[in-house]
Amino acid sequence: MPLIKNTFHRPASSSPDPAAALTSVSPDERWAAARAAGDDPVNLAALAQVLARESDTRVREAIFTALARIATPESALAVLPYLRSDDANIRTGALDALRAMPEAVKAHLSQALADADADVRLLACDLIRNIRDEDAPRWLCEFLEIEHVANVCAAAVDVLAEIGDVQALPTLWRCAARFPNDPFLAFAIKVAADRLRANAPGSRV
Amino acid sequence: MFTEARRYFVERRVTDRIAETGATSFMNYFARLRSDLDGEVEKFINAFTVNETYFYREDYQLTCLTSDLLNERTRMKRPGEALRIWSIPCSTGEEPYSIAIWLLENWPQVDAHDVEIIGSDIDTNVLKEARTGIFGKRALMRLTPKLIDKYFVGAEPGRWQILDDLRQSVRFTAVNIVERSETRPLGAFDVIFCRNMLIYFDDSSRRVAAENLYENLSPGGYLCLGHTESMSRISPLFEVCRFPDAIVYRRPLEISHG
Repeated sequence: MPLIKNTFHRPASSSPDPAAALTSVSPDERWAAARAAGDDPVNLAALAQVLARESDTRVREAIFTALARIATPESALAVLPYLRSDDANIRTGALDALRAMPEAVKAHLSQALADADADVRLLACDLIRNIRDEDAPRWLCEFLEIEHVANVCAAAVDVLAEIGDVQALPTLWRCAARFPNDPFLAFAIKVAADRLRANAPGSRV
Repeated sequence: MFTEARRYFVERRVTDRIAETGATSFMNYFARLRSDLDGEVEKFINAFTVNETYFYREDYQLTCLTSDLLNERTRMKRPGEALRIWSIPCSTGEEPYSIAIWLLENWPQVDAHDVEIIGSDIDTNVLKEARTGIFGKRALMRLTPKLIDKYFVGAEPGRWQILDDLRQSVRFTAVNIVERSETRPLGAFDVIFCRNMLIYFDDSSRRVAAENLYENLSPGGYLCLGHTESMSRISPLFEVCRFPDAIVYRRPLEISHG
């Protein structure tokens, strides 16, 4: 039979000081260092520092993962600024990393929801989707009462439809009333309201 | 590791372990677990794994393996260099043995190459069963009687054992996919089958697993996920490859910058 028995290949162990190797000229070494750095929160500052100048997509992804593994409010804070990046890959990478540390993100949500940049507020709504907190629907309702960009409201409505309940209905109606000339938002709110009612205890829908 | 949606599953398994050990309360059981009394940590891990599978499951990927993936990989090999295939999680061995049988049956070049097949799982109980290689009728339901006659011998009524030669050709090893210290020593593979496992992980564990899988692939190596899974929603490290029989993922040949 041509299939053969396996012999294991044992690669050399990774660098003993990942923080130092994060600045290596070799992308392979930076990748390995970033992966190892996520094992110890002491490397947070070094990871945050190199993230700003890392140009290799693969290494940047490993840095995001390392920060997500550290999963402290400080590591979330290191990632948050990249939500406003002009590079869609970096923005998506940051969003995915933040999704992977929902508890750590919580501490910064109110600030992100109040950001001057509408895109950041929109992405902050999406982050709430992953946060398991009984107050999360209330945060979105309070946000919807004051948000002035229809597109951002639509993002909040979308998440609210998923995690909220019928108590959010008055907020949704008020939001619809504030944007009477936006047919998409009106449609999104109708869909969300139908869904919340359908999910209500005792609903026959 | 587990998402909120898996709460019921977790509670059920913990309750089972409490009953099995005779612990009088959760705290009593937790103390037992922390001290690893009677090897409870391993039993606890084993209780959390999902082991339902069968031979030739999702065989369109096996078709893709022999129609496209291996031919691509052999073109990049030095003469005499073995092809390496990893099945994780391998459960009781149905997948790695399926790969072995499929290659012998469907890949004309099989005699011209050395092929290493490794099966890994976190559950040491299923690995013991995999090494024994005895399967019931349900596991073999997709194999023709001819294939069963060719690669199995009757072990007991309604159960068949895979041939010794074939059992010797697959190496089984305990690996936790999110532990880099456990995945790295296995080295680089040409093709990895990692089907229907990542769906059970939370976002953070999925990212770590994806990076470990990336490290365990040779540049240009292929990753096969379950048909409901999408690596592009987990990690940008891989390229999507659309072949006639399956969509698989590939570690890029060249490192992309910027």
